[in-house]
Amino acid sequence: MTVRIVTDSTADIPAEEAEAAGITVVPLTVFFGDDAYLDGVELDNAGFYRKLEASKELPTTSQPSPIKFQEAYTRLIEEGADGILSIHLSSKLSGTYQSAFNASTSLPDDVKKVPIEVIDSLSISVGMSRAILQAAQEARDGLPLDEIKAHAVDQLERTYILAVLDTLEYVRRGGRIGTARAMLGNMLSFKPIISLKDGAVVAVEQPRTRSKAYVRVAQMLGDMAPLEAVSIAESDEQVGLQLAQALKATYQGEVPRYKLGSALGTHTGPGTAAIAVVKARR
Amino acid sequence: MQEQPTRSTTRQRPRRVSVFDGQDLKKAIVAAAAWLEEHRERINALNVFPVPDGDTGSNMSATMKSAIRTIATSNEQAAGAVAARVAHDALLGARGNSGVILSQTLRGLALGLDKKTTFTSADLANAFQEAERLAYRAVIKPVEGTILTVVRDAAEAAKKSAEHGDDLVQLLQEVVYAARQSVARTPDLLPTLKQAGVVDAGGQGFYILLEGMWRYARGETAAPAISTNSAQEAVDMKKGRVSVEEEFGYEVVFLLRGQQLDVEGIRQAIIAMGGVSTVVAGDEKMLKVHTHTQTPGKILDYGVSLGSLLDINIENLQEQSLTYEAESKAEHAAEAPSEAQATEIATIAVSSGSGFDQVFEGLGASALVAGGQTMNPSTEELLNAVEAVAANKVIILPNNKNVILSAQQVLGLTQKEVYVVPSKSMPQGIAALSTFNFGADFATNCETMTEAMQQINTAEITRAVRTVELGDLQVREGDFIGVVNGNLVVASRNIKQVMHDTLQRMDIDSHEIVTLYSGEDVTEEEAQQMVRRVKEQHSHLEIELVNGGQPYYAYIISAE
Repeated sequence: MTVRIVTDSTADIPAEEAEAAGITVVPLTVFFGDDAYLDGVELDNAGFYRKLEASKELPTTSQPSPIKFQEAYTRLIEEGADGILSIHLSSKLSGTYQSAFNASTSLPDDVKKVPIEVIDSLSISVGMSRAILQAAQEARDGLPLDEIKAHAVDQLERTYILAVLDTLEYVRRGGRIGTARAMLGNMLSFKPIISLKDGAVVAVEQPRTRSKAYVRVAQMLGDMAPLEAVSIAESDEQVGLQLAQALKATYQGEVPRYKLGSALGTHTGPGTAAIAVVKARR
Repeated sequence: MQEQPTRSTTRQRPRRVSVFDGQDLKKAIVAAAAWLEEHRERINALNVFPVPDGDTGSNMSATMKSAIRTIATSNEQAAGAVAARVAHDALLGARGNSGVILSQTLRGLALGLDKKTTFTSADLANAFQEAERLAYRAVIKPVEGTILTVVRDAAEAAKKSAEHGDDLVQLLQEVVYAARQSVARTPDLLPTLKQAGVVDAGGQGFYILLEGMWRYARGETAAPAISTNSAQEAVDMKKGRVSVEEEFGYEVVFLLRGQQLDVEGIRQAIIAMGGVSTVVAGDEKMLKVHTHTQTPGKILDYGVSLGSLLDINIENLQEQSLTYEAESKAEHAAEAPSEAQATEIATIAVSSGSGFDQVFEGLGASALVAGGQTMNPSTEELLNAVEAVAANKVIILPNNKNVILSAQQVLGLTQKEVYVVPSKSMPQGIAALSTFNFGADFATNCETMTEAMQQINTAEITRAVRTVELGDLQVREGDFIGVVNGNLVVASRNIKQVMHDTLQRMDIDSHEIVTLYSGEDVTEEEAQQMVRRVKEQHSHLEIELVNGGQPYYAYIISAE
């Protein structure tokens, strides 16, 4: 008798870790031209960025179809789940949440014997992965669905994401710009800092250099204290290490580093380092 | 002017004048403005550094032309009312630091003559005390050996003269003598003046103004006709679309609601219909029109042909009282076109050069005011930009040390919340604007931007406008000169040499990224060649070249 946790590949939780935690990951599909790859299954982080830099065309991502979620939910129910919590990336960035929600409501009654809760995290990647991993832990500990859900929502509400980009070009081409629009078409090169507000991309600042941008991110982190947790998502190791080093100025806790997957990577481009900050409960 | 029979005194005087009324004051001030204009170029030449920058004579003369734009044609009899209008118009037209300080002395004059129909020597002496007080208050760190010292010495002479029982002509004469001596002493008080072998330009300008008034008082010249049309050059303000000319006819303000409205086209059309000081701001669905015209009906008919008019307000400027209420300006602000944006923060940058315009626009500046090294925008141009943007909170980036003070005058003229980030160069302004955070509140943004501005190193390469010896530096007219953070560090005929030395003095190897903004006189090829050279010498640096398009300055450089 247990609750099961479902998410999508944009959570950037490594396959082994997800498996060990009992999390079901439904992959998005990444297209390079006509070639389709299941995110995180057929295309890993390094492979994705190699293709991204080599490709003239910008890749596109496509949400899993509701069928994929129905299959996942059905399987978990058959395995004996007494509740399902499905946590997904911001509905402002992808139709994945919509797919999952549709799947949960359209399951035939004879299949849907248990409650299924679908959450729009209004975040992505490390911005939601910690809440998902915590939910999985609580599920293993035998907590009831409503309690696990409440804890996940609480943590997501205290989570903030900041990303330092090499260029705004990918954000622009991906069309997910929000107020970042104002920073477009500049003659100068910047290393823009972006964030998510209410699930949508917003521009924060536009430092000229990467090291300045990391210093600013560290300062912003300091301003958000007291903190419960900080984690990094990196497109490559070099930028992740550099950001982690800068964060030491304002945060002494452990900072786990994750690979930034292709869903977000498509929109942020190579050379992106992001942090997710969970503020302490007041 | 009420004249009295000349008394026999030890000193010969052409006539004795005890009392001035509003018309006398008007003529004296108009004469002073004309006298200053005549001396403008000579005052411009009193430049400490051989760099082409905001010329004091031009700035003060433009400020005076603005000061007299309303009273020149007024029949106002009350001296206090004339002085009040002069003070107000001077503040609006204040250009450069000297212009702002001058406008404050005129405000002091207005305070001293407040509610007076006529005035005497004692009243004028009192007004000079007020002028001194306000002039010193205008600057945070008063420096002696400048216009401030001359104002103080003039005020003291006025006081003594009044106590002595002198008439207005005698008092002005004493004031002029004192001012002349004070100007001559400025090099003793300010070493940079002594080094350059000049007297203080602002002080000289103030002395010339006093002399102009005195000349009128003693009947030497009739008030010469001075054209107020040239008072202010038309200013092309991108986005905010502001141009400024004198006030006349009717002021027409309305909101226009329509579809696919063409802001620039509408502005051009209104100007073609004879609208001056025309501001058209907003977007394709709703915009605000503010113009001055002799034929308000024509403008309104045009508006109706484009869409629906709201909040129409027409005022007869000629019939308006001379007493100015700052609130009336602020009322226009309340009609800002986009209510939705009214709580957001707007940023206004003073910019010079098409490339810089694009950089500021790309960084999200809400409006640009044309200005820069040699053309300092007036307080009014900045005020109009502030009123034209939709937001109620506005951050101004003056981007020039000689514009900061005039920008700060805007605070007292609008009901909007305004903060001036004291940026002294365009790169500083760019550094500040790049930290503008759309999500942060006003106070946080002001603080962050001011801090960011201070972390940037800037330099300029330009040509010397005259031959001068500065310490160890021999500067010949036409030399390329390098100015680092405001200090002239190198002069040579060879621009590559100047670039090399300037970058050394900036200690650029301790920085990460260097941006070269090439000026309008530098070709793309020359600039590319320069960048290649710099890259060879500083291989680890990231060098970025931007066509800034600025006049006079071959290169503006920032290192960060």
